[in-house]
Formats: sequence, C-alpha cells, structure tokens
Amino acid sequence: MNPQDPRLGELRELFLAAPESTQVQIMAWIAAGSLFVLVAWLVRRRSLTAEYTPIWMGLALGLVVASVDLTVLRALARTLGAWTLSSTVFFLGEVFLVAICLNYAVRISQTGLRVRKLAQETAILRGRLEELEARGRPDGSAQLPAG
Amino acid sequence: MAHTDAVTVLLPAFEEAERIVEVLRAVAQAVPGAQLVVVDDGSRDATAEVARRAGARVLRHPFNLGYGAALQTGYKDALARGAMWLVQMDADGQHDAADLEALLRPLREDRCDLVIGSRFVAPSDYEMGALRRTGRRLFELLGRLSGLEVSDPTSGFQAMNRRVLALYGEDFFPADYPDIDVLVMARRRGIRILEVPVSMRASPRRSTLHGGLRVPYYAYKMLLSWWAAVGRRRRP
Repeated sequence: MNPQDPRLGELRELFLAAPESTQVQIMAWIAAGSLFVLVAWLVRRRSLTAEYTPIWMGLALGLVVASVDLTVLRALARTLGAWTLSSTVFFLGEVFLVAICLNYAVRISQTGLRVRKLAQETAILRGRLEELEARGRPDGSAQLPAG
Repeated sequence: MAHTDAVTVLLPAFEEAERIVEVLRAVAQAVPGAQLVVVDDGSRDATAEVARRAGARVLRHPFNLGYGAALQTGYKDALARGAMWLVQMDADGQHDAADLEALLRPLREDRCDLVIGSRFVAPSDYEMGALRRTGRRLFELLGRLSGLEVSDPTSGFQAMNRRVLALYGEDFFPADYPDIDVLVMARRRGIRILEVPVSMRASPRRSTLHGGLRVPYYAYKMLLSWWAAVGRRRRP
C-alpha cells in the first residue's frame, strides 16, 4: 500500500468524522461517575486525603466533557495523527498514567528522605536520652525499651 | 553542644553482635580517649546491647535504613556533639585498628579534610574477586574523568574533619552505598582528599552486594549518581 495514497487521508477523515455510538458515551459517563464516587468514598473512609483528589476529579470531569462534545477530542486526534477517537483516548490515558507514576515516584522519594531524617533524628535523640538516664543512675546503666 | 570529643570512631553495624566487642576493644587500645560510636542499623540481634556494654555510645535506628544512612546518623551526631575528627570503620573486623593513627595524622596536621584508607597505594596482599576488581577499576576511571585521583574509592575506612561532616550531613548523601559519587561531590565542594595505605582483611561476612540483581543495580546507581554529582554546579 502506498502511504502517499490520497484515499488513505480520506479514509482517516471518515474514521474521525464517524459519530461515536451512544453505548460508548454511556460507558464514558459510567466510568466518570464511578471514578467520582470511588474517590469520594476513599476520602470519606480516610484512605485518600483531599489534597490528592483534584487530579482524579479533574479526570472524571474531563471524561464527561470529552464524551459529551467530541470537538476537542477530534482536534487532538488530528494533531496527533490518530485514526480513531478511541486510540486517541488510549494514548492520552497512557500519557496520563506515566505522568502520574512519575509524580508519585517523586513524592515517594521526598517522603523516603523525610522518613530517613526522622529515623536518624530519633536514633540521635534516643542516644542522648539514654546517656542522660545513665548519668542519673548509680550503676551508670541505661537502656530504653527497644522499638 | 553536649561536650567535645576530639576524635570519634564511628562503626555502623548491622547484626554484628558476635564480632563487635573485639573490634571495639582494639579501637579503644589504638586511640585511647576516643569516643566510640556504634550506629546499630536496625539489628535483630544483641548488637546494641553488646556494644553498649563494651563502652560504646550506641545510636539505634528504629528500622534498617542502609549503610550510608547509618554513617550519616553518626556524622550528624558527631557534628552536633562537637567532634573535631571522625574515623569510620567497619564493625566486622575487616579494618585494622592499628591503622587508625595513620588516618588521623594528616587531619591533625591539617594536610587535608578527608583521608581514605587505601588497599592499593602500597603493595598489599588483599585479594579481590573479579567482579569487585572490575567495579573498582570502573570507579577509578569515573574518578579520573571527574578530576579525582583515588586508588580505592570503595574503601569504607575513612577519616574526616568537621568540614566533611557538615557536607556529608546533607541530603545528597545516599542511604545505601556512598562511593565514588560522594567523593566526586566532596572534591567539587573543595574538600582536600588524601589517601594513606592501610591493610584490610577480607570481610567475614558474605558481601551484601552479591546475588540477584544487586550488582547491576549498584553499577547503574553508581553511574547515575556519579553523573548527577558531576552535573551539579560547583559550590565553594
């Protein structure tokens, strides 16, 4: 097949202009609604703190908006050189997942550093406390319970 | 500052209850009056109790943080307590306490800020496996590429002054294996580094680096850390 064949361009336009089925829109709304409810439930049972919710709520809202009006999604698909709207959604989903994983890796690194500093500080303070306790005992021994 | 101890000897330890008493005894004889500090990195055996009974000041991590983190706890403590010089050595008896004075001398004479006990500046019968030898050559090369002439960059037998203690207390110091990346960083921050010959025995423990994906991870991590250290802007 000749990639320069003008019919290919026409075929691609045909794919992109094809209206999405109602089922697809309903699926998108269900997915968005489920995500919204899940996030709210996790916040309520304190498994997720509110500060981490905007990105997921934004994603749910984006899903609803994208499924109601396909103009933006079509424009994006044309820019990316995609053939179908669904492949564009999958691609954007992957980009989102990579970005969110990287973001959490950075947060975990920062948290790890903080935990290390706290543990070191604990060890140093415990050492001082044991030393002070030892000074106050006649036999000079001091030992705090482990843990 | 609680009180000033001129020399601190730091021994990071993980499950060394069987060997540490002998090491502490040898250190106390070699450097009388030195403050002996054992950082117990979350051992499940009696390392902390045994070391305390042997006269060491013991700092206990609530859980295992890694060799580098254990060293850093000792640096931070020594800095806060006003130690002038610190010597770090392994708690498993690999390093010879008879070399402690040789490491401290250049610091006392203010000829440098950091002294590395090297197995390779003088003829030595220390035997290394092929993997370690290759790693050492690689780190030596990386050091040279960044203007650092060190023959034994993986040596854990080092002595330092307060300037280095302050630097090593910073966040860049790795929690696992501080090697060539840390030395490059020190050099770039103007630390004067010197090597002195020391003798070392083979560690009685099986290397923590052996097995699985640890060796390739270590090589990868070291290359990345070295690159990051070289890429950072020089600071006075």
